[in-house]
Amino acid sequence: MPKLICQLLDRFPLQFRVLYRQFLLRVIDLEALSIQADIPRFLGQFASVLIIFSVIEALGLLIHPVMTPAALFSMAWRTEQSLISSMMLAAGLIAVISWDNIFPDRRDVMVLSPLPVAPPVILFAKVAASGAVLGLAVLSLNFASGLALPLVLGGIPRFPRVLAAYWFTMIAASLFLYCAVLTAQGFTALLLPRRLFLRVSALLQLAAFGLCLGTYFIQPVLDTPAAFAAKESQRFLDWSPSFWFFALFNQLSGSLPPNFAWMARRAWLGLAIVVCGPTASLLLCYLRTMKKTVEDPDLVSGGRGWHWAPHLGSSLITAIVLFSVRSLTRSRHHRVAFAFYLSIVFAIALSSLKAAMSTPTLHRLTPNFLMSTLVMVCLAVVGLRSVFALPISLNANWVLRVTQLYPSEKYIAAARHTLILLAVLPVWLCAALLSLCFRPLHQSAAHLVVLALVGFIMTELSLIGVSKIPFACSYLPGKSNIQYMFWGFVVIFFPIAKMFANYEQRTLHLPLQYAGMISALTAVALELWVFNRHHARSAVLYYEELPPEVITTLGLSYW
Amino acid sequence: MLELLNVSKHFSGIPAVDDVSFSARPGEVTGYLGPNGSGKSTTMKMITGLIEMTSGQILFQSNRIEDDLIAYKRRMGYVPEEPYLYNHLSGAEYLMMIAQLRNLPRRESAECIDGLMRLLSLHDDRHASISGYSKGMRQKVLLAAALLHNPELLLLDEPFLGLDVGSALVLRSLIQELAARGKVVLFSSHELDTVERVCSRVVILHHGKIVADDSIERLRSLMELPTLEAIFSQLAVEQDSESMARQIADLIHA
Repeated sequence: MPKLICQLLDRFPLQFRVLYRQFLLRVIDLEALSIQADIPRFLGQFASVLIIFSVIEALGLLIHPVMTPAALFSMAWRTEQSLISSMMLAAGLIAVISWDNIFPDRRDVMVLSPLPVAPPVILFAKVAASGAVLGLAVLSLNFASGLALPLVLGGIPRFPRVLAAYWFTMIAASLFLYCAVLTAQGFTALLLPRRLFLRVSALLQLAAFGLCLGTYFIQPVLDTPAAFAAKESQRFLDWSPSFWFFALFNQLSGSLPPNFAWMARRAWLGLAIVVCGPTASLLLCYLRTMKKTVEDPDLVSGGRGWHWAPHLGSSLITAIVLFSVRSLTRSRHHRVAFAFYLSIVFAIALSSLKAAMSTPTLHRLTPNFLMSTLVMVCLAVVGLRSVFALPISLNANWVLRVTQLYPSEKYIAAARHTLILLAVLPVWLCAALLSLCFRPLHQSAAHLVVLALVGFIMTELSLIGVSKIPFACSYLPGKSNIQYMFWGFVVIFFPIAKMFANYEQRTLHLPLQYAGMISALTAVALELWVFNRHHARSAVLYYEELPPEVITTLGLSYW
Repeated sequence: MLELLNVSKHFSGIPAVDDVSFSARPGEVTGYLGPNGSGKSTTMKMITGLIEMTSGQILFQSNRIEDDLIAYKRRMGYVPEEPYLYNHLSGAEYLMMIAQLRNLPRRESAECIDGLMRLLSLHDDRHASISGYSKGMRQKVLLAAALLHNPELLLLDEPFLGLDVGSALVLRSLIQELAARGKVVLFSSHELDTVERVCSRVVILHHGKIVADDSIERLRSLMELPTLEAIFSQLAVEQDSESMARQIADLIHA
């Protein structure tokens, strides 16, 4: 397979091939990575998470109890929608994460402009590099389900047709969302002055991020024709492209009910528009942007109005917290990475509020709400802690080393303050606002105490073994093992959170048990705090992760 | 006084700085010269504590710097060779962060930052992002950051890079003024004219070893050469520059 790809690549012009290889390695920003970062391994981990998703979906399809034809039909529709939505989410996230990668940055322009390389070659190399990652996602996410679903739906006789329909739909759906994001970006760059574009681009990126995740979490799963025909489903069918591609799949596989044909038409039309859109807009704005990129800085200048900088305890804590806030809000990479976690947090908040509003027993705190707030605070801490690990500028870290005038524990305390102020406090305030929907209020207050303690415990847990300043240490994506983290969260954390929420709801009515739970949580929090402080005293701050010093044995022996 | 005693630094066994010993005294500007790759910046980084030496000792006011690195860092200001800054901050934010990291009093440091930015012609752009700053402006931010805490030891690694003529003249006078006020100034540059005007003593490094360490006047009379450039060429430039230029021109015409 790699040989085939190499042979295929060799057919393209040399300039394209050279640039494509360069840009492919930069789909992930090399400056944010350590020199020892293992990008292929990182992409492999990313693919493995998607493959496991695919395998689980496939197993769910192939191994199930005996069902009635109607139940089997419902399950098939649910799975089809889930697969299409997941594929579109993955494509949308890739498009958003590689947001500005389609445009040449200042470094590209400075290096490539003096060379005899035509802008379209650069554009196509950039698109091809991003497209390669998209292709990897399509392949991985449909690795097993792409065979299982056609087999279950079509049986042996219709397998080839359903298989072709499935893969066409998945490629089309991901292309649709990817190109839609590019079109929006291309036209914005074309229509707006460069400086305004840089300002709007960041907001657009966040909006696209929120839209992708929000749609995924909020849209319903419709598993019967009656559910599709229901009045409350209409606005989703009108606006959500995943339903259009669901209809397209059924049309191609020959099982589309006639009254859904309009949705399939929308999919075709949408696909035609968004595939033509970026080609024109990107080509035009490329010719324009190449010059503008040299003239203007990549970052938008700071405003000249409000420059309030609060004092937060000691000078060191103020410096580190403000540095973290500014890194989070001004750096595209960090903003997007944190927005990923925050979007999930707010999707959970939104769905828990929706559920709270729809239940008749509004006056009681439900285990669902308790669990949602616990998950929110944990995700916010984990998210911010993960983003901490991405450096803002490794080259500029010398200044932190030259001005390192305090013992390490002070820096780690500053990191703790940052986590509490930027992750725990906002979520806690959000939960406090949501809690106003519930009665009695003293139970809500009691839950907020629990939430604050859980937030503190999570903060301390995330600081175990940490000896670095936020945003000032290199990040080795190949070492992060995201696949284990992800499944650990799903398989271990969610069940524990659910059990804890159920237990908490019971104790809210029993003062003695509640006091016991608070005492236990306080003891854990204190224990972790003392442990981390003890470790911090002897810690040495590091700025660049080094490979472990291991003695390699030759395995020789006298015997 | 800053003293380097038999300092060496090896990278994977290859010596970048080899058994270097010299001293820089208060009240004088010591020039640290050498061709590209001679080990100047490596020495500077060892003096700042950014990299560790393989062997030798660095003393400041007769104390080994690694004995109390924090106390040493409080008294040292450093302008690095490359103007690497946090681009997402504005000039004022960057300097304020440095002041906070150095635990300088809030009001005084704010006044000092404001004054420095005015004097260095950065005041109008103090709230603009550093990413939009020119090379000279970045250099001025680095200089302001190095001076903010009134250091006793000033390490300047190519401080004139990117500065316009006016700013370079100001910096030249500033270096002399600071030395006259009793600071230890170690100054590395490739601009030999400037070094000749500013420095009282020069240390010349070649292939990681010291080949000269004396006052410029003494070197001139000892070597019977008229300028620092001539002395430097004799001690540290191996190739015949004219012949090299001819070879390059021939090569690209081949």
